[in-house]
This record gives sequence, structure tokens and C-alpha cells, in this order.
Amino acid sequence: MNASPARLSEQRPVQPPVQAQPAGRWLTRRIPLALFVAALAWLVLLPLVRLQSLAFENDFAGFRSAYSSPTIVQTIWNTVGLALGSLVIAMFFGTLLAWWASQLSPRMRWLRALPVLPIVIPAVANVSGWAFLLSPRPGYLNALMRMLPWWSHLDVGPVEVYSLLWIVLITGFALSAFIYLFVTSGLQNINAEIIEASRVAGASALGTFFRVTLPLLRPVMLYGGGVALLLGLGQFTAPLLLGTNKGVKVMTTDMFTAVSSTPIDFPTAAAVGTPLLVFGIVVVLIQKLLLGNQARFVTHGGKAFRIAGKPSRVAAVGIIVYAFITTGLPIISLIILSLSNYWSPKVRISQWTLDNFAQVYKESGILSAVINSVTVSFLSVCISLVIGFVTACVLVRGRRVPVLRTLLDIVVAMPLGVPAVIFGAGFLFAYSQPPIILYGSWWVILVVYVTLMLPFTTRMQLSGMLALGASYIEASRVSGASLIVTDLRITLPLMRSTLGGAAALMFVLLTHEFSASMLVRSPHNQVMGTILFDYWGNGSYPLVAAIAITMTLVTAVGVLLAMLLGGKDVLNKL
Amino acid sequence: MSRVTIQGLSKKFDGKPPTTAADNLTLQVEEGEFLVLLGPSGCGKTTTLRCLAGLEVPDSGRIVFGERTVFDSASGVDLAPDKRNIGMVFQSYALWPHMTVRENVAYPLKVRGLKQGLADGWVDETVRLVDCEKLLDRYPAQLSGGQQQRVALARGLVARPELVLFDEPLSNLDARLRDQVRSQLHELHARLGFTAVFVTHDQTEALALGDRLAIMKSGVIEQLDTAQRVFEEPATEYVAGFIGMSNRVVLERLQGGDAGWQSDGVIVQGAVPALKGAPAWTAARVRVEDLLVAPADAATPADAIGLPATVVDAAFAGRHYDVVVSVGSTRLQGHAPADGAEARGGRLVAGAPVRVWFRHSNASFHGQDGVRIAAAS
Repeated sequence: MNASPARLSEQRPVQPPVQAQPAGRWLTRRIPLALFVAALAWLVLLPLVRLQSLAFENDFAGFRSAYSSPTIVQTIWNTVGLALGSLVIAMFFGTLLAWWASQLSPRMRWLRALPVLPIVIPAVANVSGWAFLLSPRPGYLNALMRMLPWWSHLDVGPVEVYSLLWIVLITGFALSAFIYLFVTSGLQNINAEIIEASRVAGASALGTFFRVTLPLLRPVMLYGGGVALLLGLGQFTAPLLLGTNKGVKVMTTDMFTAVSSTPIDFPTAAAVGTPLLVFGIVVVLIQKLLLGNQARFVTHGGKAFRIAGKPSRVAAVGIIVYAFITTGLPIISLIILSLSNYWSPKVRISQWTLDNFAQVYKESGILSAVINSVTVSFLSVCISLVIGFVTACVLVRGRRVPVLRTLLDIVVAMPLGVPAVIFGAGFLFAYSQPPIILYGSWWVILVVYVTLMLPFTTRMQLSGMLALGASYIEASRVSGASLIVTDLRITLPLMRSTLGGAAALMFVLLTHEFSASMLVRSPHNQVMGTILFDYWGNGSYPLVAAIAITMTLVTAVGVLLAMLLGGKDVLNKL
Repeated sequence: MSRVTIQGLSKKFDGKPPTTAADNLTLQVEEGEFLVLLGPSGCGKTTTLRCLAGLEVPDSGRIVFGERTVFDSASGVDLAPDKRNIGMVFQSYALWPHMTVRENVAYPLKVRGLKQGLADGWVDETVRLVDCEKLLDRYPAQLSGGQQQRVALARGLVARPELVLFDEPLSNLDARLRDQVRSQLHELHARLGFTAVFVTHDQTEALALGDRLAIMKSGVIEQLDTAQRVFEEPATEYVAGFIGMSNRVVLERLQGGDAGWQSDGVIVQGAVPALKGAPAWTAARVRVEDLLVAPADAATPADAIGLPATVVDAAFAGRHYDVVVSVGSTRLQGHAPADGAEARGGRLVAGAPVRVWFRHSNASFHGQDGVRIAAAS
């Protein structure tokens, strides 16, 4: 060590004066936070409470009208069947895909992104793609299958996509992406040596999976299963697009019917939504109780999950085949149709044209919907990022304000449990009457979008913050930086990739938002999903395909941005 | 520089079961003193340190830096960490990965607005002190563990704080590096003379660095004394065990006048020293290197306690053998000289009879309540 001429201690900075403790500090700390929590609670609860109280008015008129309809029993069965059926499919494929993804050789690692595609590709695009594939008469895939000898006698079919079975299947495929994400992250938290210990002890790969890996994944599967069940119950896109014509109804489509009838029947819509709402909130509260304090989930060191034994070729093939069937085929059918003049089972490549895309940009309605989608999504993302940062900070550091913290935690988690359709109906009702009338402007869409994003922005930033750990922040505080300076100079720079990833991911989710948008849109205030639905209703299928492709491209830009800003694993941060 | 006073500090953590990290703790750190908080994990030493830093809020008590009250539960004073004018070195170093070494070290000066310090080159001076002047433009990820630790040290010292807190800063380094950084730290303290509170569970580290040691157990200080005193005269059996007196020989006076002593059914050879209060029961605590293993027929020195024992295991350790023996059902660890006939003659095999002995002056005697019993004057 080099000698220092002077004793450092001799020159000493001037001591800050003794700080008197202001008497009102307790209040000044809590009032801004209380206002913040109140604002978010108002945002989330007002539409729900107002709409629900409507169902109880006039001596339960809403409930009587909703539950006296002759088809309601069938509707409830359909809803439950859709939720449970898609849950089973999603759990099976999601877990299988995650297991396969963990067995890929380093060269094939990129395949891990494929099972996430159903989240990235707009649901309306995917569902309409399936319809173009498997519509009984003109569906491309049906036409192909009719060439097979044992089906050559058929004129229609053999698959009927406009049926509950296919609604369940398509929904299940979509939800498998969520299970896949949960299980994958669960696998990454399992220390590799635990798996290797089982192999060394004499268990086969499969035996290890069932005896060690799967039991360790139980909490993740429970949580992921809960999320998938809620999403299945609130599923709207597939039932609306595929079930309406054949009278396959679920509760969300019943709500939509009630709200889009003239005059609008809000009480009935509210009453139909009540069971979904109650169930959703109960599930969210149970999850909160079971998981307890989020701070326990600070990432721990140790060796990340890696495969024991040889990489599996079956896994790679399995993932590719699954992704091709569930995502590739619908996209291909969209591409074919968007290039055709009309929908016919005979594909004539010689007559392909870009007219449909030209029309997308010519028709002012469509173009303005695209612009609307992008701008409103962008603004919502900006607002959500700020709200999410503040919320995550309070959840991580708010040990001194336990009551407000718990309230905040529940409020921001609620939109996860409430189907988007219910939110849509609630916002439509709440903001088309005094004191605040937003209906007819894009403000209402913005407010809905911000509300829907609350759980996502909070969860992603919270996990980023927890992964960061406390010591960087503590080191800055003891170095003499105030909380705000610490956040500006330490926390924000260190969370740049988390924030970028969260922003881009929310942008993706919002640009293909469909369910809530369907309810709060107005004829001159459309977004991409809703304008697509209008053309679907008109029967302008090639145009529908062109809009769907446009939507997918806009989303793809978002994904690329996400990967640039948040790193390649950004999709796993969900 | 200022003295640090802790009065009646208490901190409990809810949980199953609830833990007491600090129980009515009172402690004074003199100006320029290097105080070590020593104890096993979970004894509350880190919590006490974090209370000093303002990172943890005590349930009750008072903390005063010099003339400044930084925490007082009675009057509701709780100064934020950034208002306490301290430096801290973390176990994980906690160097900000997005800043270079220079930015990391300059940070405490910048955020405190100490422009004078920046202009006077405090950063370079401090970095030179810890031998890191060549690393100024690197990022933490490009540094080795020892370098990171030295940069963290510089960051803790650069603003010349009243008090520097160390939270097990050496425990993430490997053994050789740990010795090196430890002696650098000792030298730095001697030169700069800052007041320091240092938390560790390593007794060697504590003895080497501390002017005084506070040995903690479940939120209470068991002994607060100079390193020499703690080493020679541990106040309780807990302290004795913690600072290396791992052998425990229970001695009981035999019935009937001058009949002598026994240990676990084995008759003690040699004399037990006269102890204050002439107890009939005492537990002697002895370091491994002070328990000597001799041939069974060797004589016990007059100022020592000897016991016939049986070899359980012996391992070569360079200059000596580490020998595990049993006396009755008690296991003891001792040393046998490596050049002794015991080893050559193959007498250190399992089951072989030997004699173990230790000098009175090397042992610490304790009563049944664990408290040290002084020799009768």
C-alpha cells in the first residue's frame, strides 16, 4: 500500500446539522401514497362496483333476466367446459413443451421462443386463421383432407371449426404458452445438481422427471394453472368469432350480446358477469395468501437448470411440429387468404395480389384504427411504466406502511382475475355517464388499457427489482444519497433492460387487445382488433386476413423492440 | 470522528419462531476505535450494524454519533441512512455494475455535494490507499473478488465518514486473499484512525483487527473486552467455545476429603488448581493446540491436569499430529509432536492408550452457569 502524506481524517467534511424530526412526517410520508393507492383503487374498482351494483337494482332485475333465459344452463356448461377443457390441454402441452425446451442442445436453444408465439400473435389473427383452415366447406385444411382416400366422398368437413370442441382446442393451444412460461421459469429455479443427484442415484430421465422435477414444480403449476383457468373462463375471442353463428354461447359472449343490444342491457350483462368476477377475485386473493410476501422470492444463486444426459432430438422435433401446427398453419392460411381475391378452397397462386393490403391502407377506417392502436398502446405503456415503478417500489420497500402496501398489492393484482370483457363493460358503463364522460373518445380505451396492464407492469418491474437485491440501494443510501437520487442514479439505470422489456411486451399485449376494446370502442374510435371483427361480420374475409397480417407485423415490431431492449429472454420475464 | 453510543437497543423479528436480534443492547465505541462484533450467524450482530447504518429500524433504544442523536425511539428521531454520515462495506461488495471504479468511489462525494473533496482528489488518494489506482476505468464485473473488495473499501472511506461499518466484508474471499485484505485493512485503520464497527463470525479476523471485541449471543453481548482479554480469559463457556477453546473437560471432586478429581469416570492425574469458592464441579475449556497427547506412561507436569485416554484417530498435520482421543465417553482433540516416538512407534493407532494433559494457565475454568471461575488468590 502506498504511503499517504496526510492523515485523511484531519480534513473532514462539515457535518450536516442535526435534523429535527418534523412532527408531520408520518403524515407527509403517507398522504401521497394513500392518494396513489386511492387513485388506482378508483381506476380498478369503480367500473366493477358500478356495473355490479346495477345487477342488484330493481329487486335483482338483472339477475332475473340473465338467469331465466332458457339457454343460460347450456351457456354455463359451455363456459365451464371451455375453461376446464382448455386448462387440461394447456397444462399438458405447456409442461411437455417446457420439458422439451429444457432438453435442447445449445445449437437448438432458439427453439425455446417458439412455444411463446401464441402470446405474441394476436388472438383474433390466430382464431380467424384457424377458421380459414378448418371452416367446414372452404377451409384450406379441410379441402386438403378431403383429398385423402377415406374422406374423398365428403363435400364438407371433416372438421367443423365452428364448434365447442375446436373453441376449446384453440383456446387450449393459446393458453399452453402461459403454462410453458410458468413451468420454464420454474425449471430454471431448480438447481441442476438436484436433478443430477437423482440421475446418479440411478433414476432414468423420465423417472427423475416424475419423481423429482414435477413435485418441485407443483407450486409453479398451481399458480400457472390458476392463471390459465381464469383466462379460460374469461375467454372471449374464440367463442365470439367461432361460436356466434352456430349458437355456441359462453358467459362472456352473453355479456357482449347484452351490451351490444339496443337499448343496452347493462343489468343483465352485469349479472352474467357476477360469477366470473367473484371467482376471479377469489382466485387472486387465494394466490396472494398462498404466496405471501413477494420479497421471499429473491432469486437465489446456484447452478441453473441444465439437462442431465444427452440433448434430445425428439424434443427439438416435437417443439417444431407443435409450433408449426398451432401457430404456423393459421398464419399460413392468413397469408394465403390475404393474397387472394376471395376465399376458396382452391389456392390459385397465379392470381395472388396485394390488393387487400392496398385496401387496408386506402380505407381510412382501417388505417386510423391501426394508428389508434399504436398511439393509444404507446401512451398506455408510458403511463403503466411509471405506475408500475412506483407500485413495485412500494411493494419492495413499504415495510413501514403495511396496510397501504397490502391494499396496493391486491388492487394491482385484481385485473388479472377479472375477465377483460367485464372490465370493458364496466368502463363502458362507468365512463358513459357523469361525472366523467369519456365514451366516444380514445381516452376510454387508454384508461382501460392502463388498468389491464397494472398486474403486468407491476409483476415485471417487481421481479426485476427483487432480482436486483437490496444491497445496491443500501450501498447508495449509506453513501449519502437520498431515496430519489438513489432511484435516479442506481435503480433506474440498473433496471433499464427490465423496463425496456416490460414496455415492449406491454405494447405487444395492447396492440392486439381485443376483448375489452370490443366493448369500449365506438364507431369512429376503433382499434385493429375491433375493425378486424367488423370486416369479419361483413364477410370480407380476404380483408380480414390482410388486417390480421398487418396486426401481426405491428406486433412483430414490438417483439423485436422487446428483444433489443430487454435481451433475448424478455418473453420469459412475463 | 466521534464516539458511538448505543443505549438499550432492542429489535425483534416476527416470524416462526420470532427472533430477538438485539435485546436491550448497550455499547460504546470510542473515537477511532475498531470494535468487532463477533458471533455465530443469527446472533444479531448484522442487525445491530444495520441499525447503526439506519437500514433497519430498532424497536426501541437510542443511538448517538458524537453529539448527534441519529435514532431515539422515545422522541421519534430516526435519521435516514444518507443523513448519518457513515461509510459501509458490504459482504457482497455491492459495487454498482453500471459504474466504473472511479464513478463508484466518487459517488459518495457527488451525492453528498462534497465538491471540495472531488477537487482535492480524494478519490485518487483513497484509491491509491487500497492499491487500486490502475483499475479506475474498469467496471466491477472486470475485477477479481479481492479487487472488488478493495474498491468497496475505498468507496466506504472516500467521504471520510464519522463511522465506517463493515458487514462481514472478508467472508466472500478465499483464505489467502482474506489474510491479505485483512492486514491491509488493519494498516489502513492504523493510518487513518476512523471509528469502525466490524461484524464477523471468524475469530481469527476478530482477534487480528479488533481493539475490542463484543461477543454476541441471541442479541446480548456476552463479553466486551480487548482481544487479549477475550482470548485469555473468556467470560463464559459460550465465549470460550467461540474463540477456539473447543475441548470441554468436566471435572468433579471425588467424595471423601482429599480424594482428588474425576472426569467422566476417569481419575484425574496431576493437580486441579485452587479456584475461587472451591467448587466441586467445573468445566475446563482448552484449545486443541494446548491439549498435548503423550505416551501412556509419561508423567504429567506439576502445573497441569492429566488424563488417561484412548486414541480414536490421528491425522498428520505437518509439524504435529491432530489426535482425537476419548476420555470416558468424552471426545477431545489434541496435538502430538510429529517427531515424537508415539507416531514412529505406531502408538497413535485407534485404541492405543495414551495420556493427555494441559497446563492450568492454558485452561479456562467455568461453573455450571457457564461463568468463568478465577483462580483462588
